[in-house]
Amino acid sequence: MPTLHEVQHAFSATLRGGGDGDLADWVVADDFSAAERLLIYRNSSRSVTVEVLRMTYPAVDRLIGRDFFELSAERFCAAHPPGSGYMNEYGGEFADFLAGLPEAAAALCYLPDVARFEWALSCAANAGDATALDLPSLTAIDPEQHEDLRFEPHPSVRLLELDYPADAIADAVLAGDDDAIAAIDLASRPVRLVVGRGPDGVDARRLTPSENDFARRLFAGERLGEILQSAGPDGAAWLADHFVNGRLSGFRIECAANGAVVP
Amino acid sequence: MSVSLHGLPGPIPASAGIGLRFPHHDAVLAEKPCVAWLEVNPENYMGGGKPLAYLDRIRRDYPLSLHGVGLSLGSADGLDATHLTRLRCLADRVEPGLVSEHLSWSAIEGVHFPELLPLPLTEEALAVVCRNVETMQNFLGRRVLIENPSSYLRFCHSTIPEWEFIAAVARDTGCGILCDVNNLYVSACNHGFDPRCYLQTLAPDTVQEIHLAGHKLRRFDDGRAIRIDDHGSRVAAEVWALYREAVNRFGWMPTLIEWDTEVPPIAVLLDEAAKADRILATEPAHADAA
Repeated sequence: MPTLHEVQHAFSATLRGGGDGDLADWVVADDFSAAERLLIYRNSSRSVTVEVLRMTYPAVDRLIGRDFFELSAERFCAAHPPGSGYMNEYGGEFADFLAGLPEAAAALCYLPDVARFEWALSCAANAGDATALDLPSLTAIDPEQHEDLRFEPHPSVRLLELDYPADAIADAVLAGDDDAIAAIDLASRPVRLVVGRGPDGVDARRLTPSENDFARRLFAGERLGEILQSAGPDGAAWLADHFVNGRLSGFRIECAANGAVVP
Repeated sequence: MSVSLHGLPGPIPASAGIGLRFPHHDAVLAEKPCVAWLEVNPENYMGGGKPLAYLDRIRRDYPLSLHGVGLSLGSADGLDATHLTRLRCLADRVEPGLVSEHLSWSAIEGVHFPELLPLPLTEEALAVVCRNVETMQNFLGRRVLIENPSSYLRFCHSTIPEWEFIAAVARDTGCGILCDVNNLYVSACNHGFDPRCYLQTLAPDTVQEIHLAGHKLRRFDDGRAIRIDDHGSRVAAEVWALYREAVNRFGWMPTLIEWDTEVPPIAVLLDEAAKADRILATEPAHADAA
């Protein structure tokens, strides 16, 4: 008699596309064979997982079509099955997987970047809540300490650097806007983006190289004085943009000599 | 309606409720439909952002139950501590009247399947499920309910009928039973047992909630047929008949209408809930445990 672990190990292999193996011998066969009964579970599990990916990657789905998306998603599921019952965190490796598919890479060089963009949107939508910094908490800080501020990004914030204009491609494809699709300049690369969930929902905004460098250092918790000094006259406006769009959720005051004050 | 310590609507009443799905969030907030309670899958609210904000607002107006689908109580490996922690965070936040999960498994060796998979019904599996249910109850600090799943296969080495298995889990862990009458009917048809005998085996004081949903009869050209629990249609007449028998045995009971595929306008779910309420009203309030 197989142990429970042996049954579950074999069932897992079957659901991931392996053969039924010993499992078929352990299943009651009557009007329906063991293989037919196992197929019900295999089809259902595969169908749900593919639909989870389709909801996360709607623009990829439109770009490659339902059938090829399903085929790609099934192969992805076999190689990268879900790791937890919280399915919103499933599918982060899909972009790299698509990049390794010769059929997709040859026809649509920008496909992996569109997937990276959609994954960032999904992460932003589902990230944990955190209270965005408000004006009173900042105005209460002694101006002499402003240079020692180190900010924490909101959990939804992601910075992307993509080879192709994936944001414009995804927007145009999902809108079915042929004129916008035709106007996309694939040579306009790289594209730098900040993605986050602000007061009005999930938002993606393009950044210049200087803005991107500023944001990367800001979100890494570097000392504000040094970031602003490198940024030049536009730094204050860039900081204000992150603030009003809810991309900052905390700060600490820490001078270079490591004297930390946590508000 | 009674309220909790924090002013939220209180326990789940012995009336019909509906499973809340994303397409109905706006309708529930805008129209505040007349339904006694709501149930959600916690896995849909374990992140932050819009879904959780919706749930917080809806919770102010309705008693709420959390019905998990991702904990995998039958896993030989034990429970996923991260998933359990997420469940507790949500439960602490929304103070649900009931928390439930399934008599099934979905994870092994770090791989999770979005499916309620069948267990071999053996003494070993019973010990595993009881251990995992006790872990869940201790971690959440509350009694939970365990639901009988629909199934499409049985294992040759099963030694315990499902009705005795789930009754033993309730007896050994102190958990309650969520009797899904549709699942019971689907499994009974697929495996050829009498669903009425199943109902008669369950001790009335252990059953704390009933689920109702639609299912699909899939016929093959060679005359064979199998019932698939797809939650995509109205409750079947045979399931309503079995529900009457369940209410007659268990008494008035929180009863949920579930609908997960091809979700219709909320009015359809409310209509099904009203039908369940009419049946509840015609049956005795308390079970005859004899």
